[in-house]
Amino acid sequence: MANDHNHDSSHGHHYILPDGVAFKAFAALLVLTVITFALSFVHLGSLNYVVGMLVACVKATIVVGVFMNLRKDDPSNTVIFASGFVFLAIFVVLTSTDLLFRGNVYTNNKPIFKAIAGPSKFKKPWEPTPELVAHGKDVFSQQCVSCHGAAGEGNGPAAAALNPHPRNFTQDAGWKNGRKPSQIFKTLKEGIAGGAMASFATLPMDDRWALSHYVASIGPNILKDETADLAKIGVDPTKDSAGSDAAPSVPVEWAMKKLVQEAGAGSGKQVVPGASDSLMHYGDRLDAATFSKQKP
Amino acid sequence: MGNHGQVTPGTYHHGHHWKNAHEEFEGAKQGMWVFLVTEVLMVGALFVGYIIFRAMYPEAFHEAHKLLNPKLGLLNTFVLITSSWTMVLGVSSIQRGQVSRCLAYLMTTVGFGFVFLIVKYFEYSHKIHEGILPGGLYTYKELAMDKVPLFFSLYFMMTGVHAFHVILGMGLITWVMLRVKRGEVSKQFFTPVELVGFYWHFVDLVWIFLFPLLYLLG
Repeated sequence: MANDHNHDSSHGHHYILPDGVAFKAFAALLVLTVITFALSFVHLGSLNYVVGMLVACVKATIVVGVFMNLRKDDPSNTVIFASGFVFLAIFVVLTSTDLLFRGNVYTNNKPIFKAIAGPSKFKKPWEPTPELVAHGKDVFSQQCVSCHGAAGEGNGPAAAALNPHPRNFTQDAGWKNGRKPSQIFKTLKEGIAGGAMASFATLPMDDRWALSHYVASIGPNILKDETADLAKIGVDPTKDSAGSDAAPSVPVEWAMKKLVQEAGAGSGKQVVPGASDSLMHYGDRLDAATFSKQKP
Repeated sequence: MGNHGQVTPGTYHHGHHWKNAHEEFEGAKQGMWVFLVTEVLMVGALFVGYIIFRAMYPEAFHEAHKLLNPKLGLLNTFVLITSSWTMVLGVSSIQRGQVSRCLAYLMTTVGFGFVFLIVKYFEYSHKIHEGILPGGLYTYKELAMDKVPLFFSLYFMMTGVHAFHVILGMGLITWVMLRVKRGEVSKQFFTPVELVGFYWHFVDLVWIFLFPLLYLLG
């Protein structure tokens, strides 16, 4: 601590703020407050923020420099106080960086495993049959009800937490990709970017067509696909189904064995280690795959 | 306690572990600056939360901030700045040995603190009455927009933490006034007055940022 600073006062070691200086600082703060208030009525777009915060910083400097006398204080105190704002800046920058570059990792659950493609049971799964619709209903009750609700009204138990809300299938309004089976099929494959609807490309293709026909059947009227609609998603209605549009990569049996091994390798815990979120979703799809196999 | 802080008017004995009273004062002051850094970071966390959510939901925050009364915010800004000024005058008075003048300024400062809290009370009670409340408690029908309740979670948390500091500051100033009255704090030893003043100015400092951020820029 410096012993010999600020002897500019007649009162020993301590600098006493002259009343005149204090009044000037006070007056400046009042004027700047009026400026801040007046500026809020002028619309400068994002410049409003810059100017508003700059004026606030000038006011803060006056309070700290004059009222708290930091300008006449030991420099070490300036370093200490400034360090607080340096850490605050790091806090702001790192958090903003995370927000800016997080991308859509939380909005678009891209599956990390792709399901095994079984041979299609249906020659032309894009053509609705009562059998497909009934199967779609079963898949729906497993995969979709938690968000879209048992009746497809977009009011499942998890719906409240989602923004935008899950689609209400009983209404005509609001469909991002459209209500035709081919358009629903596209949504099931790709998900909805920027929304909570995930891609269900890991479901077997038959299941997705079954779902599409079932969801289309809930609506106020059933829309039919034209050849052109099917062409948009790469389906040639004159030919039979090739079985799957998803390339297989990891066999389910192998993945299950791997998961059991990893879980066992931990300290006897039943929890699956690592990316629990993706694995949870994987688990859902695993059930679906098993489920669809058990179906006659 | 030893002789530390045992003061009779005119003869102040600094703590035995200090070279002299000046160093003791400087040490205490540095400790106060360090404490204020921790305050900056505590309040800063709330500001970071506000900045992030404002960036994520600009429309909702814009609509939400219109529910605040900028005139009352402006009034409270004037009140706090004036109270900072009277605090400064209180400190320089005791440094010059003007005890009764010091007490008058400190009393005025506490008075302004009360005015601030009364204005804040009217703002809060109006919002509570209308159902403009944080998070899930929000029931205001006129603005049923997603993420508006989030704005009010932040509003109540930030202004609430600030108001708590105002109350604490008023208590500290009152304690200092008692010590001045008893003669424990004087021209020779005014550390408590000056450092409590620092605390009060910091409260003002936080409000200087809260006011434009919440009431004006939204």
